[in-house]
Amino acid sequence: MGGEDILVALTAISPQLILVAATVLCIAADLFMRSGKDTACWAVSVAGCAAALWASASLWGRQQVAFSQLVRLDKFSLFFYGIFLVAGIMTLVLSMEFLRRERMPVGEYCAILLVSISGMMFMASAYNLLMVFLGLELMSIPVYVMAALMKRNPKSTESAIKYLLLGAFASALLLYGIALIYSSARSTSLGVILKHLETGRLLGNPVLLAGMGLVIAGVGFKVSLVPFHMWTPDVYEGAPTPVTAFMSAGIKAAGFAVLIRVVVVAMHRLSIEWAPLLWVLAALTMIVGNVVALSQQNIKRMLAYSSIAHAGYVLVALTPGTRLGIQAALMYLFIYFIMNLGAFGVVIALSGKGDTAVDIQDYRGRSAGHPLYAAAMAVFMFSLAGVPPTGGFVGKFYAFSAAVKAGYIWLAVIGVLMSAVSAFFYLRVLVRMYMEEAEVGTAVEPIRPLAATRPAGIGLCVAFAALALLFLGTMPSLLARVAEETLAGLWPF
Amino acid sequence: MEHAVLFPYIRWIPALPLIGFLINGLGGGLNHSAATHKRIHYVACLAPFGSFLVSLLALKWLLDLPPELRLLKDTVSPWIFSGDFSAKLSFAIDPLSCVMTLVVTGVGFLIHVYSIGYMHGDRGYGRYFAYLNLFTAMMLVLVTGDNVLLLFLGWEGVGLCSYLLIGFWYEDPEKAYAGLKAFVVNRIGDFGFLLGLLLLFWSLGQKGVWTIEFAEIRGHVHLLGPGVITAVCLLLFMGAMGKSAQFPLYVWLPDAMAGPTPVSALIHAATMVTAGVYMVARMNFLFAESAFAMHWVAWFGAFTALFAATIGVCQNDIKKVLAYSTVSQLGYMFVGVGVGAYAAGIFHLMTHAFFKALLFLGAGSVMHAMGGETDIQKMGALRTKMPRTFWTFMIATLAICGIPPFSGFFSKDEILWKALSSPVGSTGLWLTLWVGAGVTSFYMFRLVFLTFFGEPRDEHLASHAHESPPVMTVPLILLAIGAALAGFLGVPESWGLGHNLFERFLEPVVGGHAAAAGEAAHSHALEFVMMALSVGIAGFGLLLALVLYVAKKDLPIRIARAFPAVYRLVLNKYYVDEIYDAVFVRPIRRASERVLWKVVDVICIDDGLVNGTARVTAWASALLRRIQTGDLQGYAFAMTAGILAILGYLLLR
Amino acid sequence: MEFLGNHIVSATVFLPLVGAVIVLVFVGRRSEAAIRWATLLFMAATFLLSLVPFLRYDPQAAEAMQFIERASWLPEYGIEYKVGMDGMSLLLFMLTTFLGPIGIACSWRSIETKVKEFHIAMLLLQTAMLGAFVALNLFLFYIFWEAMLIPMYLIIGIWGGPRRIYAAVKFFLYTLVGSLLMLLAILYLYFEHHRQFGFYSFDLFDLYRVHVGLGVEKLLFLAFGLSFAIKVPMFPFHTWLPDAHVEAPTAGSVILAGVLLKMGTYGFLRFSMPLFPAANEVFFPLIAVLALIGIIYGALVSMVQPDLKKLVAFSSVSHLGFVMLGLAVGSMQGVEGSVLQMINHGLSTGALFLIVGMIYERRHTRMIADFGGIARVMPVFAAFFMIVTLSSIGLPGLNGFVGEFLILAGTFKAHPVMAAFAASGVIFAAVYMLWMFKRVMFGPVDKPANRALEGNDLTAREVAILVPIVVLIVWIGVYPQTFLRKMDRSVEAFMARTGHAGAVVAAQADAGLLSEGSQQGIEKLGRVERR
Repeated sequence: MGGEDILVALTAISPQLILVAATVLCIAADLFMRSGKDTACWAVSVAGCAAALWASASLWGRQQVAFSQLVRLDKFSLFFYGIFLVAGIMTLVLSMEFLRRERMPVGEYCAILLVSISGMMFMASAYNLLMVFLGLELMSIPVYVMAALMKRNPKSTESAIKYLLLGAFASALLLYGIALIYSSARSTSLGVILKHLETGRLLGNPVLLAGMGLVIAGVGFKVSLVPFHMWTPDVYEGAPTPVTAFMSAGIKAAGFAVLIRVVVVAMHRLSIEWAPLLWVLAALTMIVGNVVALSQQNIKRMLAYSSIAHAGYVLVALTPGTRLGIQAALMYLFIYFIMNLGAFGVVIALSGKGDTAVDIQDYRGRSAGHPLYAAAMAVFMFSLAGVPPTGGFVGKFYAFSAAVKAGYIWLAVIGVLMSAVSAFFYLRVLVRMYMEEAEVGTAVEPIRPLAATRPAGIGLCVAFAALALLFLGTMPSLLARVAEETLAGLWPF
Repeated sequence: MEHAVLFPYIRWIPALPLIGFLINGLGGGLNHSAATHKRIHYVACLAPFGSFLVSLLALKWLLDLPPELRLLKDTVSPWIFSGDFSAKLSFAIDPLSCVMTLVVTGVGFLIHVYSIGYMHGDRGYGRYFAYLNLFTAMMLVLVTGDNVLLLFLGWEGVGLCSYLLIGFWYEDPEKAYAGLKAFVVNRIGDFGFLLGLLLLFWSLGQKGVWTIEFAEIRGHVHLLGPGVITAVCLLLFMGAMGKSAQFPLYVWLPDAMAGPTPVSALIHAATMVTAGVYMVARMNFLFAESAFAMHWVAWFGAFTALFAATIGVCQNDIKKVLAYSTVSQLGYMFVGVGVGAYAAGIFHLMTHAFFKALLFLGAGSVMHAMGGETDIQKMGALRTKMPRTFWTFMIATLAICGIPPFSGFFSKDEILWKALSSPVGSTGLWLTLWVGAGVTSFYMFRLVFLTFFGEPRDEHLASHAHESPPVMTVPLILLAIGAALAGFLGVPESWGLGHNLFERFLEPVVGGHAAAAGEAAHSHALEFVMMALSVGIAGFGLLLALVLYVAKKDLPIRIARAFPAVYRLVLNKYYVDEIYDAVFVRPIRRASERVLWKVVDVICIDDGLVNGTARVTAWASALLRRIQTGDLQGYAFAMTAGILAILGYLLLR
Repeated sequence: MEFLGNHIVSATVFLPLVGAVIVLVFVGRRSEAAIRWATLLFMAATFLLSLVPFLRYDPQAAEAMQFIERASWLPEYGIEYKVGMDGMSLLLFMLTTFLGPIGIACSWRSIETKVKEFHIAMLLLQTAMLGAFVALNLFLFYIFWEAMLIPMYLIIGIWGGPRRIYAAVKFFLYTLVGSLLMLLAILYLYFEHHRQFGFYSFDLFDLYRVHVGLGVEKLLFLAFGLSFAIKVPMFPFHTWLPDAHVEAPTAGSVILAGVLLKMGTYGFLRFSMPLFPAANEVFFPLIAVLALIGIIYGALVSMVQPDLKKLVAFSSVSHLGFVMLGLAVGSMQGVEGSVLQMINHGLSTGALFLIVGMIYERRHTRMIADFGGIARVMPVFAAFFMIVTLSSIGLPGLNGFVGEFLILAGTFKAHPVMAAFAASGVIFAAVYMLWMFKRVMFGPVDKPANRALEGNDLTAREVAILVPIVVLIVWIGVYPQTFLRKMDRSVEAFMARTGHAGAVVAAQADAGLLSEGSQQGIEKLGRVERR
């Protein structure tokens, strides 16, 4: 405890500190500036994320535990930092126009967002179950607020409430699980738990198992695994689209970070116990997510179900609990956040005032008005469907190969069949955009999408995502190597 | 035969008409000026004439060689090589193919010339002559091809041309359909031919001989088991049935009338239908090995000969009568080759080429005069109006009826004699043909009397009737000479006027086997008796026709009234077409449309399996969606259930 | 130049992609003529470039696979960029590059909306197809294989007919299902290879060496086979084809029939059969019978189609039945015939779709009943139509015959009865094609709309499109050597791997069905040692 050099320890959490600082600045600006504070807050937040990103990058390769093993800085955490921060920046970029149009409080929005991100970062680096819980709450509470930020929109509030209540339920589960684990392992430190299991103690200890089950359930809620997914469609639909985008990208990644650290790695010796569990959850999640997505008319709802389904694919990669599996999961999460943010970016760009025009019907013939957005959307949809040469294919490829290698052939079969199903509803968006004509005269007042006003930021963001996916689809080696390196620090054996 | 003489000009025999086809096909199509037409028919007529000259040259070469060495070869290039299989583009001329080329090019040339007059001013002039040339070319490939596959190339080629030419006036759906029918029925035969070819190839192959060249095959027939040989022969003969219009595949030929008359002449006389006979003769070494196959061929021939002849009796369309007579005459040829008298068969093929071509061109000339009228009941008394046509037609009729000394007499009588005398032959066979001969001469003279004698039945038509221009009548006269005298090439040995030249000429190819064997068994006396009998029945037929259609004109009607059923049966050609239609054509079409397509494909496979899967998924989706009620308790409940399940699994298993 | 020489295959494969980028970036969507010409230029250049390997290919060389290029991609996963050609892929490669410019030329007038997108899609499609034919690394192959779907999906869905969306989605999903299962099979093989040889590799020739138990091999064969069978398409997986063909624009149909269907047969030839010879042996009867059903069923159904495009589509089912039969029996003649028949079908059926398209552009109907007597008003059109029709019914002297005959010959060796059934397909072919031709081209010109076609015969552009095809049709028919000789070595290699699937099995299976004379014959045939 005491021997620890506080400065050294602080460097371990420097990215988080930077974000916190940015948050403070942001609030200050929001409070004291007269004019142009929106822009200022926004700029500060973006800068903060960028700085944090730079800090994380500079920490790459560094391996340390700090604050009496509460946080563990390793490539694994840094990898996720990268996801969160890039996702954060992209979200901010996507949000700006939207916030203005919907007259949402930019300052608060940005500040809360930053807090939430730092929460995620703590989740990813947590090496102690309590830290996990703290991070999770730090991440979740701001999101509840953000979901409600569109005050004029009752749906928004409703979704926020739902999310809040169920989220509380899930947190309770998680906390209870942690308690159970503590009571059996006499510690909440992952390192200790790992050691116990290695030495063979606690193997088959029912209390520990129950705790693990509850942790899985709690985290499963955040990453929306069936049957803990029910909130997802409603919240995704109700929340302001940029928030939805952020949730789908960040929260899922954070949740899986925890799942990997706590269950797959720390409780690796229990894989015999949890592997079948994950198998079933993965299958259910893929099936329900994809099948139900078929009959969705609202694109945000559709993407919600698709996000459920994709959680299933990640779980397919994790079920074997092998190095290749974790690597595949990391790659999948990375690719997934890009394609999802991209897709939501297009949704935001094409959405009408009051976050309207988000029914798939509204996309009829939009390729004529917005050829580039349409093209990008095509990339995202094909990528989500997992068709080469897009990133989505690479993700699926690694996920399924992990399963096949470990002999989970049938899980993989379910996976591919479901992704065939998924192709149908992803293609439907393209059908609407490219193959159908917008019917004239039906819309009462013509949709004025953001893309029509000032597309610069959003456009850039979307373009980046699309190109990144094509690059990852054809040149996956870089990502693959990084993901593999990432395991180095994570995998203790 | 290993020792073949190189004769690099053979390729030109088929090539010249092919070139003619290309020139007219690419060039002359659309322009209708007189000048173009002139150019077109010059090119078109010179092509086969050139081939004719080359064939003559080939003949000279052959005659210069000792009989057993009479084989000229000309290899152009490889064609299809694959693994053990190899087919060259190579041509050969031996006495058999030499006879064929001469007939095809000679008679063909005359028909070309005749066409100049007949097709004058037709808007498809260029197309017509192009097809005509292609037809000749394909037939020449067929007879000069040195391997089975090349023969098949010509075989299908003539099938195609018959399709094109029968349906030449395609704007009339009937005619277009006739062309289609011809092609398809031929394809059915070719199906058998192809399988026969393959069976032959592989059966030889697994004996270590990979070849489809006639000489090679002939050299290794002994390797094959009797079963295989019979199978091969029957399959090949199936092809012949289609091509040479034998029962039951003869149905296309009568409809082939739809084409311009010179085409009918070409199809019926010189080319196409003779292909089957030629093929059997070409393959004689195979058929000779299988008595069963020979009987089969002979009896099918005999039956067809009589069957078709009887149909001919009641036809009123001048061309239809001739068509059925062709079917019948082909039957005779098949009996010839069937009983092993290949020389006789080919001999009849040649004489038939002359008189049948003559008959058709004559008929054409009549129609030309009558403004395209083909119903002989409307004609009459044309004897005076168009004497050249009449006399030439008369000669042809005498020839086909086997009245000495016209060519038909020698060839047909030869066949009748062999049908009796050869080992394969029998009295029954002879009797069938003998009766057939009688019927033939009856319907032929019926045709002549109705057309050229009596008084005109249709004043209007008669008044316009006139003799055709020389370009048409000159070929008639030339053919008439052939029809009259060609017979003397094959005077039977028994007459003591020396060898049967024709038979001797073909001997190296088709050998004397069965035929020679037969000679010993029977005395010359018997042969002469038979001769007398066959002439006798022909005379009887003539007289009967004379009585019925010149003396007592009301008699035919009364007979028809007396036996209405029989009459209608024969008049309607025994309803064979209708039967085929009811048994094969319509059921297949119906089944394909109503069962295979609309039920199996659309409903079962596509809607049931393919879209069914999609529908089930959608249904499941709608079902699962209902769970998403939107109210919190439900969600919480689902979560609780999930947790309990997880805990239950972890703790209780 | 030297570099180009060593990378000729890749250069050809990616030239269209370059074209696509250039068109995308440098040509404005308004200047449609420029787009058309640029695309045509790139397609033509691709064709010319592909002549180099065609001329350079050495059929005598001991190694059939030539022009091999490799570049590291994800070495640690055994994923590398590896392409090469043997005689069989060479021909299909040529067919693809040959049909490329034609596809563009025939869309000159018929594609008027989203011109830029269309031509980019065509170029991308071209690259994907070419890549799939030369890829020697299964990962690479899979990428190209799937990438083909996207542009074709768009081409059908955007520029297609009234039910285009249904057809496009059906095409996409149907094909996707199959290929995803193949992906799993590929992965399984990949790890199996690692287990046996200790290193990861997607390299085709490495995977050839993998041995799995017959049980597993069967499953893998089915997984591969399904995806290919759907593409071919084999009965009963064919129902996407009529829809796709009917709805697709002319260019789409041409490429679909001409090239995409060959992907399936090529897949069998290159992957499933050589990878799993034992399973292939086991499934020989299944494939052969399905192929036979396809031949006859396709012909019969095609016979009664009221819509020209549907008719041609079903005829494809029949023709590809022949191809599959030849591959299944796997004898020298069978396989060479099949490969040649793939080319022939590409030419004849491609041409048929072109012709249907040409008449459609004039009459805006494809219903056979609406035509009649066209031959009189459009003689030139009639001539081309006739030649193509004849080639499609396998008239000796034209290309179709050579392929079909060789296939029949090869099949007969293995199984005379099958050959007999297959040969009956030749009869039906004559029926449905010529009957259609009669109803469309012959008969009186009784409909005013048809009479109006007088003087509206083929344009120079259309003639220019058809002439090259007809030339090839005759060339292959008269002198197939040019193409057959290229593939001898490759086919031998194929047969060496598959171990003459079928012949032996069939020989016994069939012995009962023949006269005793030929019986021993057939049994011997079964044992004939192949050169």
